[in-house]
Amino acid sequence: MKRTTSLKISISGVRGVVGESLTPQLAASFAQAFGTYMGQGMVIVGQDSRISGTMVKKAVLSGLLSVGCQPIDIGICPIPSIQIFTGEAKSVGGIAVTASHNPKEWNGLKFINGEGFYFNTHQMDEFLDIYHQGEFSLVEAEKYKIPKLEQNPTKLHLEKLLSYLDVDSIRLKKFKVAIDCCNGAGAVLVPRFLEALGCQAILINAVPDGSFAHHPEPIPENITDLCQTISRKKADVGFAQDADADRLAICSEKGKPLGEELTLILATKYILSKKSGAVFVNLSTSQAIDDIAGEFNASVFRTKIGEINVVERMLSYHGKIAIGGEGNGGVILPEIHPCRDSFTAMGLILEYMASSGKTISELRKEVPRYYMIKDKIDGTQEQAYRIIRQLKKRYWNRGEISLLDGLKIQLENCWIHIRPSNTEPIIRVIVEAKSKEEAERTASQFKKEILEISDWKS
Amino acid sequence: MKLLKIGISGVRGIVGETITPELVMNFASAFGTYVGSDPVLVARDTRISGSMLHSACLSALTSTGCDVIDLGVCPTPILQYTVKRLKAKGGISITAGHNDIKWNALTFINEEGTYLNAFQGEEVLDIYHLGKFLKVSTDNLGRIKSADNYMDPYFKSLGEFLDVQAIKKASLKVIIDTCNGAGAKSLDWLSRHLNFDLVPVNNEPNGFFPHDPEPRPRNAQQVASIIKVVKADVGFVLNSDVSRVSLVAEDGETLSEEYTFPLIANHYLKHNPGTVITSRSTSKMIEDVARQNNCPLVKTKVGQSHSIQSLIYEDAVLAGEGSGGVAITEFQPVFDGFLTMGMILEIMAKRKMNISRLTEELPRYHIVKEKTYCPSTKIHSIVNEVKKLYPDRQIDSSDGIRVDFRSGWIHVRTSATEPMIRIISEDTSKEKAQERAEEVARFISSLIK
Repeated sequence: MKRTTSLKISISGVRGVVGESLTPQLAASFAQAFGTYMGQGMVIVGQDSRISGTMVKKAVLSGLLSVGCQPIDIGICPIPSIQIFTGEAKSVGGIAVTASHNPKEWNGLKFINGEGFYFNTHQMDEFLDIYHQGEFSLVEAEKYKIPKLEQNPTKLHLEKLLSYLDVDSIRLKKFKVAIDCCNGAGAVLVPRFLEALGCQAILINAVPDGSFAHHPEPIPENITDLCQTISRKKADVGFAQDADADRLAICSEKGKPLGEELTLILATKYILSKKSGAVFVNLSTSQAIDDIAGEFNASVFRTKIGEINVVERMLSYHGKIAIGGEGNGGVILPEIHPCRDSFTAMGLILEYMASSGKTISELRKEVPRYYMIKDKIDGTQEQAYRIIRQLKKRYWNRGEISLLDGLKIQLENCWIHIRPSNTEPIIRVIVEAKSKEEAERTASQFKKEILEISDWKS
Repeated sequence: MKLLKIGISGVRGIVGETITPELVMNFASAFGTYVGSDPVLVARDTRISGSMLHSACLSALTSTGCDVIDLGVCPTPILQYTVKRLKAKGGISITAGHNDIKWNALTFINEEGTYLNAFQGEEVLDIYHLGKFLKVSTDNLGRIKSADNYMDPYFKSLGEFLDVQAIKKASLKVIIDTCNGAGAKSLDWLSRHLNFDLVPVNNEPNGFFPHDPEPRPRNAQQVASIIKVVKADVGFVLNSDVSRVSLVAEDGETLSEEYTFPLIANHYLKHNPGTVITSRSTSKMIEDVARQNNCPLVKTKVGQSHSIQSLIYEDAVLAGEGSGGVAITEFQPVFDGFLTMGMILEIMAKRKMNISRLTEELPRYHIVKEKTYCPSTKIHSIVNEVKKLYPDRQIDSSDGIRVDFRSGWIHVRTSATEPMIRIISEDTSKEKAQERAEEVARFISSLIK
C-alpha cells in the first residue's frame, strides 16, 4: 500500500498542505492546545512570508484568544527574530506560522517556549497529549484579552547581532553582498542588517510575499540566479536564505555555490580560531567538522537531527561552548540566541572575510573537502523503520553503527545516514565521502538495497 | 446547559461555551462555501470577544477562497449598506446586538444587504451540517483587504434621504448612548451630516458595556439623569450594533422601546402610505397608527429576518418591531438605528414638537414584558401547554401563541436567543396587562417544577 500523507505532526511542530490538511480549524485547535498547555499570558505570533500565512495566523489568533491568551501579532518576521523576541518578551511562548523550506503549498506551526526555544521531545509529547484530548481551557467573554500588534519585532535581534559582531572591521571592507531572500521572511531584516555592516547589498527576491521565485531550500540547484548576479555585478560574496531565514547558503565571489554544508564548516573554523569550546552538530553534518575541531583540540558532540536536539544538548552542556549547528546551513551561536540563525551565519562569514582578508574561494580551499549526497525516497515512517531494521542486520559488523536517529553507518572512507523525515513523508539518505566517485557509488548501492527491501516487503 | 441558538439569520451563543473558534470557523466556512464568490464583507461590534470571532471568520472565509473586505468595528446597518454599494456577494456581522457581554453571534448578510431569508439560511445550514466546506490551495486563497472610507458614502446617502435642512434649522441638541458599542465610532459622522449638537455618552469603542446593550428604559437611566442638565431635546439609547433605538424625552422620561416604531410610522405613513410590517409581539399602537393612516398591516414572526423578508415580499414601505428596530424600504430594507434617529429628529424638526408632545398623539397602551427561564428541552411543550389557559379563545400559534382580547393581547413565545420564555402582554388597562402576564408566568413555573 502506497500511502503518503499531507499532514506531519512531529518534534518540529505541525506541517500540512493548505486546502487539504492544514485547515483553519486544525490551526485553531493547535493554538488552543498551546494556550491550554502554556497558560494564559502573552503569546508571540509570527509568520514567514507564505501566501497562506495570514489565513493560518488568523486561525491561530482566534484559537489563542479563546483560551484567554493575549496574542502579540508580530507579522512577517525571520524565525530567529521570533525566537529572540519570544525569549525576551515576558511571554509564555510563541507560535511561528512557517513551513521552513517546504514548497509554497505547505504551511505549519512551530511551537516556542517562554525562553525562546522550540519545544523539546518531552514538551512536545505533553503538548500533543493536550491536543489529542481536545479539552481546551476556554474562557468566558469577560476574561478575553485584547490582541496587540508589534511594529518592530526584529529590533532586539538586530541589536544583539550588532553588539556581538566586529562591525567596524566589516564596515571598513565595504563588501558588495548579493543576497537571495527567496521572497521569504528574511527580507524584512536583510537590508537594515547589511546596511549596518556597511555592505552594498544587491537584493534578489527581496519582497517578502511568499511568491518563492524558486524552491525555498537554499541548495545549489535553487540559487542559480544568485550565482549569475554575483558574476555580473562582481559581488564579493553571495548568500541565500531559506523562507524563514534560519538557514543560509554561501556562493563564492566567482558565483559558485559552496553547498549549504560549507556554511557551518566555515563558521566553525572561524569561531574556533577565536575561542575554544565544544562544537555541537547533528548526525548528518559533515565530517569536516570533526577534522576542523581536531585541529583546534575541540570536542564534537553529535545529536539527533532537528534544531531543538542540538540546542538542548548545548543548553545541558556545562563546559565552554564554541558553536553549534546543522549541516543544512543552520548556524547556532549561543551569544546571539541558541537557535539557528541565517543572520548570525552571514555576520560570521563577513567577519571571517574581513579579519582574514581572504576571499570565499580562498577560505573554502582551507577546509577539508568532502562530497555529500543528499537523496530522498518516497516513504512513510513505517517503511523507513523496516528498511533500517534490515540494513542494521546486514551491516552490524561492517562498520560503526549509530541508532541515535535512524541508522548511521560509518564505513572506512565514508558514512551513510538513513532516516525518515520529520516534516515530510520521505526517507532521507545522506552519504558523505572523501571523493565524489566514492560518494556516488555508495549512494547508489544503498539506494538499490533500500528499494529492494521495500519491494520485497510490499 | 449549553446555550447555542442556530437560526436562519446566523448563530448565537455564549463565548467559551458554545461560541468557539471551531464553531465560528465552521459557520464562516459554510457561508464562504455557500457564497462561492467574492468579496464578502466582515464587520464586528466592540465586544472584547469580537476579535476571536473576527480572526476565525477571516481565516475560514479565505480558506474557502473568498476575498474579504474587512470593515473592522462597524455598525451592522453600515455593513449592510456597504455590501450593496460595493456589489459584494455577502457579509458577516459579528455582533450579539442587545445581548450582554457574555454572548456573541454571527449574522449573515446576503448580496442585497439584508439578513438571509429562510431559503438562503437553510442552504447555509445544510452546508454547515454536511461539514463539506470548500478548501482551496495556497494560490487560490482569498485575500484580505481593508475597506476604504465606507462611512462617508453611507452618511452622505442618509443625509440625502432625510431633510437635513429642517434638522439644521431646528438646532437640536441630542444625547446618544452607544453603550460603548459599534456606534461609538460613528456618532461624529452622524452629527456632522445631520447638523445637530451631539452629547455622546458611553462613546468609547472599548467593548466594555456600562449597562446591558438593550435599548429599553432600564438601560436608559444614564441618559435620563443628564438630559435635563444638558438641556438636550431628545436622548437615544442604542444596542451594540446600532440596529435598535429607544428614546428618552426632553423631560427625562424613558420611553418604552415600543414607541420608536409607531412614532416614525405615524409621520412617515402620512406622506408615504403603504403596507406596514410588524411582529406579533409589537404593541397595538402600530395597529392603530396603520388604521388611522389607512395602511394595511401585516404581522410576522419575531426577528429582523422575518420582518425584512415580509417587507420585501409584501412590497411594504415600513417594517418595525417593538424592540426598537425600524426599516424604511426607500432607504434600505434593514433595521437601521442611524436612520431611526434621523427620522425622529426630522419629525421633531418639521413638526416643531418635542418627544413628549409627539407621544401624546399616540394611543396609550400599557405593555408588560416578562421572561422566565425554561430548560430548552421542555420549552416547546410548555409553551404549547399555555394554550390550556384560554380554552374559549382563538389562538394564533404561528410564532408561540398569541391571544387577542378586546382591549389587549398576550403573546407567549420562546426566545430566539436564550432558553427563556417571553411573555408580552398589552392592554389599555395596566392592571389587566399585568394580571394576564402574571397568570401565564405562574402557570409556567408550576409546569417546570
